[in-house]
Amino acid sequence: MIFSSPYFLFLYFPLVLLLYYISPLKWRNLVLLVVNLIFYGWGEPVYVLIMFLSIAIDYSHGRMVTRCKDRGNDKGARMAVASSVVFNLLLLGFFKYWNFIAGSLAAVGAGFLPVIERLPMPGGDSIPFTLPIGISFYTFQTMSYTIDVYRGDAKCQKNIITFGTFVTLFPQLIAGPIIKYKDLDEQLEHRDHSFEKFASGVQRFTIGACKKVLLANALGPLWDVYLATPGEQLTTLGAWLGIAAFSLQLYFDFSGYSDMAIGLGRMLGFEFLENFNYPYISKSASEFWRRWHISLGSWFREYLYFPLGGSRVGKGRMVFNLLVVWAATGIWHGASWNFLLWGLYWFVWIGMEKLFLGKWLDKVPGWLTHVYGIIVAVVGWAIFAVEDFSAMGPYLAAMFGFGAGMLDADFLYYLRNYLPILVIAIVAATPLAAGIWRRLPERVRQIAFPVLMMAGLVLTTAYLVDGTYNPFLYFRF
Amino acid sequence: MKHKYSVFITVLFCVFIFGFGIVLLASPSRDFSEQENRFLAQFKAPTLDTLRSGEFMEDFEDYVTDQFPLRDGWIQLKALAERALGKQENNKVYFGTDGQTLFAQYTIPTQEDLAQRVGFVNKLADNVDVPVYFALIPDKSWAWATLLPANAPNVDDGSAIENAQAMCGDNVTYIDLRTILTEESSAFYRTDHHWTTMGAQLAFQRLMSEMGLARPMETEDLLGLSYQGLPYTQVSDSFYGTTWSSSGAGWIKPDSICTVIPEGGTQGHVTVTGYPEGTPVESSLYHPEKLEVKDKYAYFLGGNQPLCVIQNPDAEGGKLLVVRDSYCDSLAPFLAEAFQEVHLFDLRYNNMSLKQYVADNEIDQVLVLYSGSNFNTDRNLFKLGQ
Repeated sequence: MIFSSPYFLFLYFPLVLLLYYISPLKWRNLVLLVVNLIFYGWGEPVYVLIMFLSIAIDYSHGRMVTRCKDRGNDKGARMAVASSVVFNLLLLGFFKYWNFIAGSLAAVGAGFLPVIERLPMPGGDSIPFTLPIGISFYTFQTMSYTIDVYRGDAKCQKNIITFGTFVTLFPQLIAGPIIKYKDLDEQLEHRDHSFEKFASGVQRFTIGACKKVLLANALGPLWDVYLATPGEQLTTLGAWLGIAAFSLQLYFDFSGYSDMAIGLGRMLGFEFLENFNYPYISKSASEFWRRWHISLGSWFREYLYFPLGGSRVGKGRMVFNLLVVWAATGIWHGASWNFLLWGLYWFVWIGMEKLFLGKWLDKVPGWLTHVYGIIVAVVGWAIFAVEDFSAMGPYLAAMFGFGAGMLDADFLYYLRNYLPILVIAIVAATPLAAGIWRRLPERVRQIAFPVLMMAGLVLTTAYLVDGTYNPFLYFRF
Repeated sequence: MKHKYSVFITVLFCVFIFGFGIVLLASPSRDFSEQENRFLAQFKAPTLDTLRSGEFMEDFEDYVTDQFPLRDGWIQLKALAERALGKQENNKVYFGTDGQTLFAQYTIPTQEDLAQRVGFVNKLADNVDVPVYFALIPDKSWAWATLLPANAPNVDDGSAIENAQAMCGDNVTYIDLRTILTEESSAFYRTDHHWTTMGAQLAFQRLMSEMGLARPMETEDLLGLSYQGLPYTQVSDSFYGTTWSSSGAGWIKPDSICTVIPEGGTQGHVTVTGYPEGTPVESSLYHPEKLEVKDKYAYFLGGNQPLCVIQNPDAEGGKLLVVRDSYCDSLAPFLAEAFQEVHLFDLRYNNMSLKQYVADNEIDQVLVLYSGSNFNTDRNLFKLGQ
């Protein structure tokens, strides 16, 4: 199920609110667990079993870690943590990377792993072998749980229903933010519900829905045009127009989804951490990753980069640590070589910034560092978005002037048609509008807000009911 | 936020989402959408099987979107919003610069694909012993190019037709219709992809002169304003075509439908045998009951069918087989004026062997007549060679 759909917004979510708020406080986690499973099972019912398995294994590992620690058995606790990490990585590895690994091995003549197309089911049936939605997100969440219990950063959850509610919590189940158990455990036991919180959730949800439906979906077709354009016909300005559209589409798609998640969470009494902070105003590659998909960056820092020694090691070791983290970040985004390349691309920039580039950037004028930051990010998206290597080369070549000329008639048409939405999107990607909003007198805001909110919801509904273009980019990660 | 204000916002949001949800569930389902000219998805109760396979969920999503309260209004609102944002297209339809003409986007095939398609026509010509004529109807975006948004990419630039002509084999006579369906003519509907009766008449005159059956024309006839002195009459002024349906452009005025040849032909002896379900039934050139429904173009011959045979004992030409798409429905009354028998053969619904059909029915000549857009995309053309 996705948030930007009429059946979610007008049937599923009202029903969830109704069930949730008529239930007594102590039953609310159970209500959430049930509706979470419906939400998850909607797309592929059989994969709910993976969810049950995940809950059972991580719950029991959490208990095991605690029991070992209580008895002073550190070795046992470590074994339990390792077993949980291995289980989660195997789960993710099998569903996400099996066919990628099998296919890549076969491509170099070592085809001993079979490519799986269907999964056999008990009773002789089989289902298509697809990526379970959100698996990259929830395996990371549950992995961090056992690690935090071992580190003493999180308390062990003894109630399996409460733990199940955490693992499956629908607002952030399929696309994050990636929430660490330790940030949520108190809210799972006790959370406040108030009209103030609900109304601020409504505001956040509406902003997210508008970002996703009115901006990301509107820009998507422009990128699709340039992605489909054969390399020999790509012009330089056309290639930049296309990748600019993708950069904005991806940002509004994903950050809109995070906003909706945060908003829905608030309406149910939860407070999730922020996931985006205007990434396109960054002045460096390092800053970009402190502003883009914050929960993923902080996860990798906390559970991979720091354990490896982080930056407090020799230069050579630090470069190695960065390489590991960025290769992992790249391949996390998808089982394809271009994502690995994209991760390494960021490794190169961030590595250079840590070694020497950062000092240079401190000395040059501010506007120039903004240009640097945005170009690094946007060129990176070309590697990210053009998965086929035979198309990626020509696309990058066209961007840097080795295309079919500067511009053509198609470019003029698309620029003319998409300029207004591009301008709106670019402004919306900066803190400008939010700044103006905050400076308005309280009275004006009070009147303007419900008007804007209803206008946003009505327009969003119109685009959803028309429904010709509503993909969700982060669904496959 | 103050408490009262928060309550207000909460209530506003809940009324919106609960309200539409309840109306959706409580109001009766519509079977058919006049605006979109299609049947709408209905609620199907889940079974264990459809739940397990996920089929129920997919059907349910379609049901919610299709039966959403005020669906037509939402679609028009989206089209208006797109236009307000300066877009010159919506849902793959270009808005003409006159504000009243709609153009469906047109797909230009690759050279290889086009060669394969024309190859099927050549194969047909090799298979039969009678003359084979071939003509492609240029798209509205070619004829009325001046009304297109500047630089619009997915339009007919005439190149596909020119290439198709060059790819024709020796046994095929190509008839170029590009010169007659021009900018000035009212050859196309503004809201539909089909040509008008005037467009069909202009094409008919060109086809006849190329097929050696030229007949005397008055000046007015040549402009597509009358047929042998007979004036045009309007039969409907409220036709909204398929292009309008996809566009959601509620601000566009309807088209009118006109005819010139009376039912039964100018001599009154034309009979029509339709095969809507595969068996012969008595039919007619025009179906006035179709003027009451959305798809008014079906007024001509009654809509899609695998085969239709028109007979006119007064005509001079012999037996003509036309392999065709729906553009031919409004051309048929003209063809019936010139041929004793006109066999209209639609490959989309008809799997009979053309070679056999020509032999069995003693056909004298074959015309392959398609709109360029259908010819470039139809998946049944391989049947031409069978």
